Amino acid sequence: MGERSPALDRFVLTLTGRPSPRVCFLPTASGDPREQVMRFYERFEAWPCEPTVLSLFRLGRRTDPAEHLLCQDAIYVGGGSMRNMLAIWREHGIDETMRAAWEIGIVLAGLSAGAMCWFEGGVSRSGGAPEPVAGLGLLPGSLSVHLDGESERLPVYRAAVADGRLPAGCAADDGAALVFAGTHLAECVASTPDARVVRISADGSGGIHERQLPIRLLPDNRRFSRGRAELSYGVAELRALRVGRRRWD
Amino acid sequence: MRDRPPQIVAFGGGGFSMEWGNRLLDDHLLALTGRARPRVCFLPTASGDADHYVVRFYRAFDAGRCEPSHISLFRRETGVGDPRAHLLAQDLVYVGGGSLVSLLGTWRAHGIDLVLREAWHAGVILCGGSAGSLCWFQEAISSFHEGPPRRIECLGLLPWSNAVHYCDEPGRREAFRDAVTAGMPSGYGAGDGAALHFVGTELAEVIGSRPDARAVHVSADADGAAVERDLPVRRLAGAPAVIAA
Repeated sequence: MGERSPALDRFVLTLTGRPSPRVCFLPTASGDPREQVMRFYERFEAWPCEPTVLSLFRLGRRTDPAEHLLCQDAIYVGGGSMRNMLAIWREHGIDETMRAAWEIGIVLAGLSAGAMCWFEGGVSRSGGAPEPVAGLGLLPGSLSVHLDGESERLPVYRAAVADGRLPAGCAADDGAALVFAGTHLAECVASTPDARVVRISADGSGGIHERQLPIRLLPDNRRFSRGRAELSYGVAELRALRVGRRRWD
Repeated sequence: MRDRPPQIVAFGGGGFSMEWGNRLLDDHLLALTGRARPRVCFLPTASGDADHYVVRFYRAFDAGRCEPSHISLFRRETGVGDPRAHLLAQDLVYVGGGSLVSLLGTWRAHGIDLVLREAWHAGVILCGGSAGSLCWFQEAISSFHEGPPRRIECLGLLPWSNAVHYCDEPGRREAFRDAVTAGMPSGYGAGDGAALHFVGTELAEVIGSRPDARAVHVSADADGAAVERDLPVRRLAGAPAVIAA
């Protein structure tokens, strides 16, 4: 969702196989900021789907997070601090809910922290400098994101895979996505022509092997837009307000 | 070493985020430090480090009267490099409101729970409202917007229980009394405008920034029934004697 092309977001919806899927966004990793919520609604309300947002910082009194998540067709997790997100999920029991959602066929998707969280581990800047952080472990292996965007992440990832702190896995450019069916990597897809996914594994003698994986460029789906993407700020904010109280105290 | 004993000031609801224009409580906190220009660090974790909350903190605690700072645990790559060293160097740590459950999870993930205990022992005054009050106690009844009221285990610096907005939001009083009856430690319910000042683990006094500020002590009697006792409230100088219309 952070990128300009909506192809990956649209692709998440098509994976559900529903004409008007229910899709719930979790911006936990960034502390549920209003801007992310607005951007999600701006994009997804232009498409045939039923978008909602689950804020764990502003839970309504009658909202049961697990119940809400388990009736979705897709769950979309935003970026931010992976360490914070997983800690907060655990406190709310959302880690177990995510496993249950995955097992009953709800499409799990996300970017950055929301992409790495499904694996055994990733490389996160949650503590400042990039470092290996454990994920939920639904998927075997590891993932490192922003391969092209954040040059300081890759060396940390390579070193962690080489010395076994992280299992083998992939580093992905912005605009690239890995699609798993069960725990099997079905394909890599991209919203931009140059986006790469690189497989990184330990060579057994302290070094690593790197291999670029084939990737399928998704069609630019902007033509599907019903023209509501240019919502004014005011309208979008009004919509975002529906998701929760504004009071912080 | 500081010459201050461990202190916590837990608001039932008040301070810059709830009583804009009423600086009595915040002024009182600055005075408690005994410093001309105290170091004050804001922890907005419970709000998800909401930008507008941070901005309001800096407006309320302007650099003219203190050395304000904040720590964002959602954007560690920017800002304070070593949260422990930073927190231990403060005179006052001010914890904002929001989600208690999310606050505790995030703090534990960064070891901030242990740092705050250390800071408390070292004489850094800890304070906050709502989630920023509940967090210091052994147990608390969760905030209004975290599903139905339930007991939540907190940092346990104070061996009591706590409820906030006690007299101000429906259902809080009942939920708190029920929980104490069901075995939660005895503790304190504080209403909006009331702040509980603990020195060590004992309540030193209740201060009020509003004329109607109220706080109670709730315990269970020998038969297990809830006993609620009103606590005397010292009205801060300058607090209006009557509620403005």
